[in-house]
Amino acid sequence: MLQFDQVSKSYPGGFVALDRISFRLEKGEMAFLTGHSGAGKSTLLKLISLIERPSAGRVLINDIELSRIRRSQIPYVRRDVGIIFQNHRLLMNHTVFDNVALPLVIEGFTGKEMVKRVHAALDKVGLLDKVRCLPATLSGGEQQRVGIARAVVNKPPLLLADEPTGNLDPDLSKDTMRVFEAFNQVGVSVLVATHDLGLVARMKYRTLTLKHGRMINDGLLQYQEPV
Amino acid sequence: MSILFTGRATGAAAKKIGLLRRFIMFWLNHARQAVASLGELWRTPSASILTIAVLGVSLTLPATLHLLVKNMQQISSSFTQAAEISLYIREQTPANQVQSLVTILQADHDVAEVIFVSKQQAMAEFKQISGFGAALNYLDSNPLPDLIRVLPKNTAPQAAETLLQRLSNERIVDFAKLDIDWLTRLNAIVSMLQQAVAIIALLLLSAVLLIVGNTIRLSIMNKKDEIEVMKLVGATDAFIQRPFLYTGVWFGVFGGLLAFLVVELMLWWLQGAISNVTALYQSDFRLMAMSFREFIGLLLIAVLLGLTGSYLSVRRHISAIEPTGP
Repeated sequence: MLQFDQVSKSYPGGFVALDRISFRLEKGEMAFLTGHSGAGKSTLLKLISLIERPSAGRVLINDIELSRIRRSQIPYVRRDVGIIFQNHRLLMNHTVFDNVALPLVIEGFTGKEMVKRVHAALDKVGLLDKVRCLPATLSGGEQQRVGIARAVVNKPPLLLADEPTGNLDPDLSKDTMRVFEAFNQVGVSVLVATHDLGLVARMKYRTLTLKHGRMINDGLLQYQEPV
Repeated sequence: MSILFTGRATGAAAKKIGLLRRFIMFWLNHARQAVASLGELWRTPSASILTIAVLGVSLTLPATLHLLVKNMQQISSSFTQAAEISLYIREQTPANQVQSLVTILQADHDVAEVIFVSKQQAMAEFKQISGFGAALNYLDSNPLPDLIRVLPKNTAPQAAETLLQRLSNERIVDFAKLDIDWLTRLNAIVSMLQQAVAIIALLLLSAVLLIVGNTIRLSIMNKKDEIEVMKLVGATDAFIQRPFLYTGVWFGVFGGLLAFLVVELMLWWLQGAISNVTALYQSDFRLMAMSFREFIGLLLIAVLLGLTGSYLSVRRHISAIEPTGP
């Protein structure tokens, strides 16, 4: 499904954000991406969502090389990849419904079909009763879940999340992760970038760890939570 | 259409929809977006009204100038009736031949009126007007020719010119003269005014283009975050552009309507003053207002300018906004 092949990314000025990263994420697999801030997690996600292009190496989704994607095709690639942002990136002057419906409107959905899908997505994240609210009236956790609903509303085969639990308390973090698990169980590939190592260890999923742009661990993370 | 996942049903296109239904949906979507853009203008009334006012004023001036030229043409066309052809008769032409020419001319379809002035009449008139008086009595013979004054039916300079050519070919006519110089001068002035108006109109219309472009640019900048989010969830540039293009169209519609109202108001205001002046000159001049076709033309031009202005702005600025990261 998702494959990195010797991918490097350096920025002007010589800063190397990613250094020869290689890994494969299979269809229907769920994995965590961890590391300190500045380790290259965000850069890696940006390469997948075509916000940045790699300096060297190849990024492939479904065996299609992303470097072959022309600028005009980028929107269509992004429709296949659901992205959840740390700072939600909701449209603050639009209702929850409008926010979640945005990907559907972009794809040309209208009427009942759109309403049905938006309600289904909001139902999955438990926010069906807030359809008509403005995001500003919601709590941080609820806003995050609106962001998740927006990312999954058009049923993308690949889901990326950048620090989805960054601003949440432990209970909310656990709930959010459960939502991801639920999507994973219906066959969506999920890649979650987080530095919440305790949560990662408890969830028992494959974990990719980055340090200074290099992959230092790929597999289950052995971590004992301090008592 | 999914590039990465062949066979992945995406978008409304994945649902089997009939061609007719899709066609209807296409227009329905456009109408919906047009209304949405209108709502957007409504929500920021002060900024919208200012822009529309500027556009209205910018469009009013060319429209007014156009009406000015139109009315000028009307006046100048009423002047052309003064065109008159003078036929000077060869010396020693027998009076009966002159008389028969007058009769022929009177029957001519192109001629409105014929006035015969004999050389004696001309001399008497000359004596009276010139002030030479008695000095003229010393002349051996009357040097003045007989004269036939002809008023053409069609008073346009071109038609009068051809009539002149025809009449000067008459055997007993020495030469024919048409006092057309001042007419061509007047026409030249009118056409010069027309060109000046065209240049001013061009300048003002480009001002409209720039104003719309700049307003749209500002509203794109205001919505930078929103545009980034839309791009992140897979919106094409065309999709993001559309509301801004509709905003440009609405600016055009309202600017054009405002210009029309201002022009009408101005005409109504001036009507009284102008009728006073024309009454003094005993002329039957009537101020011509904008015709329906001109009104539609004004609106079309305004909409086209709004659309073009916003298109130029949108093309430059929307592709320049790129999301910087999750």
